[in-house]
Amino acid sequence: MSNTDVVAEVRSGTKRYPGVTALSDVDFSVRRGEVRALLGKNGAGKSTLIKILSGAEQLDAGEALVQGTSLKGLGTREVAGLGVATVYQELSLVPEMSVAENLFMGAWQRSRGVIDKRRMRADAKAAMARIGVDLDIDRSVGSLGAAGQQLVEIARAVWQKPALLILDEPTSSLAAAEVRQVIDVARRVAEQGVAVVYVSHRMDEIRQVADSATVVRDGRIVETLPVRTASTREIVAMMLGAAPEAVAARVRRPSSEPPVLTARGLRSDKLDGLDIDIRPGEILGIAGVLGSGRTETLRALVGLDRPDSGEVRLRGEAVRPGAFTAMLRGGLGITPENRRRDGIVPLMGVDENIVMGDLRGVSRSGVLDRKAVGQAAQALIDRLAIKTARPGTPIGNLSGGNQQKVVLARWLHAGSTVLLLDEPTRGVDVEAKRQIYDQMRRLADEGRAVVFVSSEAEELADVCDRIVVVRGGRAVAELSGDEIQLERVLTIAIAEE
Amino acid sequence: MSTTKPTGAPVASTGVRTGGALGRNTQRLNEIGLIGAIVVLFVVLSVTASGFLTMTNQLAILRDAATIGVVAWAMTLVIVAGEIDISIGPAVAFSSVLLAKATGEWHLPFALALLLCLAVGLLLGAGAGFLRARWAIPSFVATLGLWSALRGLAQYMTDGLPVPLAPNGLLDLLSGSILGIPTPAIIMAVLFAVFVFVANRTSYGRSVFAVGGNAEAARLSGISVARIRVILFATTGFLAAVSGVLLAARLGSGNGGASVGLEFDVIAAVVIGGTSLAGGRGSLLGTALGVAFITIIGNGLVLLGVNPFFQDVVRGVIIVGAVLINVLLSRRNGARTT
Repeated sequence: MSNTDVVAEVRSGTKRYPGVTALSDVDFSVRRGEVRALLGKNGAGKSTLIKILSGAEQLDAGEALVQGTSLKGLGTREVAGLGVATVYQELSLVPEMSVAENLFMGAWQRSRGVIDKRRMRADAKAAMARIGVDLDIDRSVGSLGAAGQQLVEIARAVWQKPALLILDEPTSSLAAAEVRQVIDVARRVAEQGVAVVYVSHRMDEIRQVADSATVVRDGRIVETLPVRTASTREIVAMMLGAAPEAVAARVRRPSSEPPVLTARGLRSDKLDGLDIDIRPGEILGIAGVLGSGRTETLRALVGLDRPDSGEVRLRGEAVRPGAFTAMLRGGLGITPENRRRDGIVPLMGVDENIVMGDLRGVSRSGVLDRKAVGQAAQALIDRLAIKTARPGTPIGNLSGGNQQKVVLARWLHAGSTVLLLDEPTRGVDVEAKRQIYDQMRRLADEGRAVVFVSSEAEELADVCDRIVVVRGGRAVAELSGDEIQLERVLTIAIAEE
Repeated sequence: MSTTKPTGAPVASTGVRTGGALGRNTQRLNEIGLIGAIVVLFVVLSVTASGFLTMTNQLAILRDAATIGVVAWAMTLVIVAGEIDISIGPAVAFSSVLLAKATGEWHLPFALALLLCLAVGLLLGAGAGFLRARWAIPSFVATLGLWSALRGLAQYMTDGLPVPLAPNGLLDLLSGSILGIPTPAIIMAVLFAVFVFVANRTSYGRSVFAVGGNAEAARLSGISVARIRVILFATTGFLAAVSGVLLAARLGSGNGGASVGLEFDVIAAVVIGGTSLAGGRGSLLGTALGVAFITIIGNGLVLLGVNPFFQDVVRGVIIVGAVLINVLLSRRNGARTT
């Protein structure tokens, strides 16, 4: 292959953020017609590399080139002009508008100032044909499923005739059956001579879509290798690097008590017959890649979602599906994945955010006892080492880690015995992470059941007594005690079906 | 009133100004600004409007304030929760008609008629709240329906004519004064105290702020968001009925065409007081100042002999101006804190 086939490249690229080097001396290139998978743990540098290539970020050293033109000083708009199109995880569609209108959002075909519907529809059909998808262009985007919406995004990007198409985890929100469509489209686009960079965590999918995979770790490129010959094991080893397993001298105490909360055969659009047992006195980790059904499992357990079928039992008794408040009364507590959006009332004080979990406990016939509120809050602020100027400081002013501790404190105040923690350490600094782990251990030692959902297998392997690996909406493995090894957890989580 | 100085002992953050210190500075600035504006208005009107400072006029201002204030306390909580109730004017008129009809045409004993009137107001409000809570019908639409239906019903029941109300002792008391202070103003003051307490010291009140600040977080914490929304609108419905009774007592009749545009005075008072239409932030003290501000302007414009049509223009400009200043203040403050 001649050198002119190279569509985009990074030469000795280095990018630093305050406190971290996100990319260090990276060399990377993609050629036309190739699908390149980008692999790596969270924070390995994948997103930074994508941002550099799309013009959202600038390199501190080295250079990035698209079609031979340096990206130095160019913004996303100019870089898009060079032929780079990026489809991000978060979709940017208007659900109420039609597929055709979304495809040409803001650049609608016009004649004499009026939108030319006929031309727009014709172009929309052509755009969908270009990615080889048969989709009714007059339907509203909101009525399409997640996969359909993803395809509209891709069609919109491909319509610009990009030289480089970047797909950032395009399948993470899709059910397993829908993934196929996206894979086919990515292949088809590559066959038209476009270079495709494809970020994903699922090995089976990567094997189907990509020719080669670049593994990133700690801001460096470990290797670029053909996916057909490499084993999943090999790739996991590269993602992890030399495992500092010596740290693993930690005590694991899987509980032998009967489960307090069990689920059998949970089915919904994201769950496919999931079974799980949650025992008091241990930290149970739920591992799985993005979109595997981790969060959906928690939501079904606590009654926030009503599964299509399946059974949840609390202390042996079947509970009505979707009975959220009953589950809270039964001693469950959940800290949501998106803390800012769903977890905190930013303008209210730390104290009030804590006692929110059980206002009855600090009031008499509906009237709050200020002293009780103050004492309950102070006790938990001390216990969880929440850093706040005063108990009444608005929680919005606290750091992410401290906010998370407050959300956890809410359930300790409510006396919950089954704690479901969805990504409790996301966006939290190292020290606060440590403290949150310690608290989980302490809560388990007190005899509570702690369920720890995380996309970072490392911390699960580090902290948990038992780990359930979820893949494609099923619990595919349960590891306890010494069976827990990071490599094993990761391999199962990303392995092909 | 709570101050922001740090104290050694753990003290809950619930003060009269609520919504936390993040909004508290803005809120305080806004309140100080309002007090300043009211003082300026007072001075200017004392000089320019003859009769402004007389006892009679001051008591009249108090009486007028009650027309807005009684409902404004409840409206503050509705808006704090991120909702709106625009059915106030028609609800007040309807309830005055209901009272007149029940005592006159339907020959109910007065106490029973009064009870009926209040109960119907409460239920109508609760109905709007239920539409919001159960079927996620926007509260603007649910109360817009009430706004239209109640005005229509009140006019239909009376053929657009006032229905006279047989005088009795209680009506005289409601329209009169106690120790020289107009009874409606006393009711307004008592309700103010009740609402300050409810907003700051009860589980319900704090839950309202939590729902307005982040409904999903409140729900995930086990707060029954639906229940709170129903109660909120039941409260405005109930207090609109109370206002209707006071109106009937004052006019001596039920009047289907009364209180036109009252809902906007009430909402304006709340918003001028610094309560955010986006929810989560607000203060009853601010609303009280807003009520005073609007009432004094109204009174002054009359005394100055401004053309009644033009009064509305002046009020419109002043209301938007006041809120604009509030928004600019909070933007400056917000830029520093986030």
